[in-house]
Amino acid sequence: MAQTTAPLAPKEMPTGARAVLVVTLIYIFLVGVGLLEGGIKVMGADTQAQLFEGVNNPLAGLFVGILGTVLVQSSSASTSVIVGLVASGALGVDAAVPMIMGANIGTTVTNTLVSLGSIRQSEDFKRAFAAATVHDFFNLLAVMILLPFELLTGWLSGAAESISEQLVGAAGSEWKSPVKKWVKEPVDWLKDGYSNLGLEENTLGTIMVITGIGIVLLALTFITKNMRRLVADRVERSLNAVLGSGGGSVAMLLGMIITISVQSSSITTSIMVPLAAAGVVSIHNIYPVTLGANVGTTITALLAALAASKPEALTIGLVHTLFNVGAIAILYPYKRIREIPIRLAQGLAQIAVTRQAVAIGYVVVMFIVIPLVGVAVFR
Amino acid sequence: MVMSFFRKGDGGLDTIAAHTVSMLAEARHSFDLSSMALLSGADVEAVANDVRATDERINQAEQDLRGELVVHVSVHGSDDIGEVLGYTLLIKKIERIGDQAKNILDLAEEGVDLSSASDIGELSAIRQTISEMMSEAAELLNEHDQERADTYRASADTLRGQLEGRIRECMHSESPGHEIVPRAILFRYWKRIVANLGSVVTTATEPLQMKGYLDDGATDVNG
Repeated sequence: MAQTTAPLAPKEMPTGARAVLVVTLIYIFLVGVGLLEGGIKVMGADTQAQLFEGVNNPLAGLFVGILGTVLVQSSSASTSVIVGLVASGALGVDAAVPMIMGANIGTTVTNTLVSLGSIRQSEDFKRAFAAATVHDFFNLLAVMILLPFELLTGWLSGAAESISEQLVGAAGSEWKSPVKKWVKEPVDWLKDGYSNLGLEENTLGTIMVITGIGIVLLALTFITKNMRRLVADRVERSLNAVLGSGGGSVAMLLGMIITISVQSSSITTSIMVPLAAAGVVSIHNIYPVTLGANVGTTITALLAALAASKPEALTIGLVHTLFNVGAIAILYPYKRIREIPIRLAQGLAQIAVTRQAVAIGYVVVMFIVIPLVGVAVFR
Repeated sequence: MVMSFFRKGDGGLDTIAAHTVSMLAEARHSFDLSSMALLSGADVEAVANDVRATDERINQAEQDLRGELVVHVSVHGSDDIGEVLGYTLLIKKIERIGDQAKNILDLAEEGVDLSSASDIGELSAIRQTISEMMSEAAELLNEHDQERADTYRASADTLRGQLEGRIRECMHSESPGHEIVPRAILFRYWKRIVANLGSVVTTATEPLQMKGYLDDGATDVNG
């Protein structure tokens, strides 16, 4: 094939250098989580209580989780922020659980938006929209089943707490995380730098939180961008191998591996949408990949928990993992149940292909209007 | 399968290039068999099964490659979009070569046998040349050697001109139709195959906007 060399094309970074860059970015990400936790701690107890008073209602927490994730277009980012908040002690695990579930729903907006790109080609759009929204319906059903169950029994947070207790200690204790030690110094530098400006506690805390969130978002963006370049050929090779002849569990495993590699379930699920649009893979092939992506994306919250000083941070990270694994265990093994999200997605796609406004309306109502109204009503 | 993620190895367009070369090798196999059936009096039925099976493999390879190209664009974005579009043209050319090889077999199945033709030596030499051109085209897909590609295209143009001349001779021949028509059809298929091979090499070396056209600016679709 003709090898065109554009004179202004940037030079490709060597793989080794990119790998070092990714490790550095992960460190910066952890510093961001540490700064977020530190910022909340600096704020007075009254301010902390006021800030999170509204999300004590589980439905409010759920809608905040959806809305926050839609805004940053990344559940990795929103769950990392939630981990930071739990680590600071300002947000309890019980209040954070619905937010984590909301993040799972919110993250599905990205591939649904990608599917709208083929809205002018009706058959392509039908396939793409169904492939994107199967993720939405699965996550919605998972929340509809597991949130009430969690509220009634507390099994998710209980199981996560048991595991984190085994790993790092009981809730309420101080966890001497080695990673926390590595990130402590830059967090302290930044804190001292802001303190030297003579700011009062709440302002200092707010600035630290904003800086922390900014660092988390930027670091994750660049981690994802660089990891995508690092593993693109591997992703391509394994997709070709698995989607042609792999079964559901293999596709699920692949979705998980790709998502862990690129630190973004949105990347994994969005890659699948054009494949569905072109008819290269069916919704049945894509479905397990998206479920694997759901599990894979929980690694970021677990990573963020490494920079925290409380076992509760790891607990909420584990809640995210257990929630997604539990949802698969409930909704995937039995064919009749497994097919429900697929049928719902295909049904919605059938309507959307004849009335395109329905597709756009679905995105606006599902990811913006309902969460906004929900937050307003339940907080 | 999932472990392929962790294995070292070629990925991306290198893999697609390798699959394209394999597809061209299949087309050559099909061409050699079909032409031999016509020129050497080989058992047509025995050859036909092999040619049809090869054609199915070529068609399947085309479909698989299309899928791989969509996967490539989904994963890499628009970084290699020019090359991807080039490949979509290229694999269609190779698929057509496979179809034209099958068309040559159709002649043999209709009972055409040129093994005792007076110019069989010349016909066999043309077949051999085209077969070798297929092999060289595969090499050029890997090498991107501009100079060698230019030489190749010049040779392809010359051979196309010769085959065009042979078709004209047939049109003005006074030999009976049942003798001359099959020859004219064979020369036409060979000419199309040579044109497609020229396009395959053009695709490997020229910018996207030039792909699918001959040097004089005419499209090679009917060339």
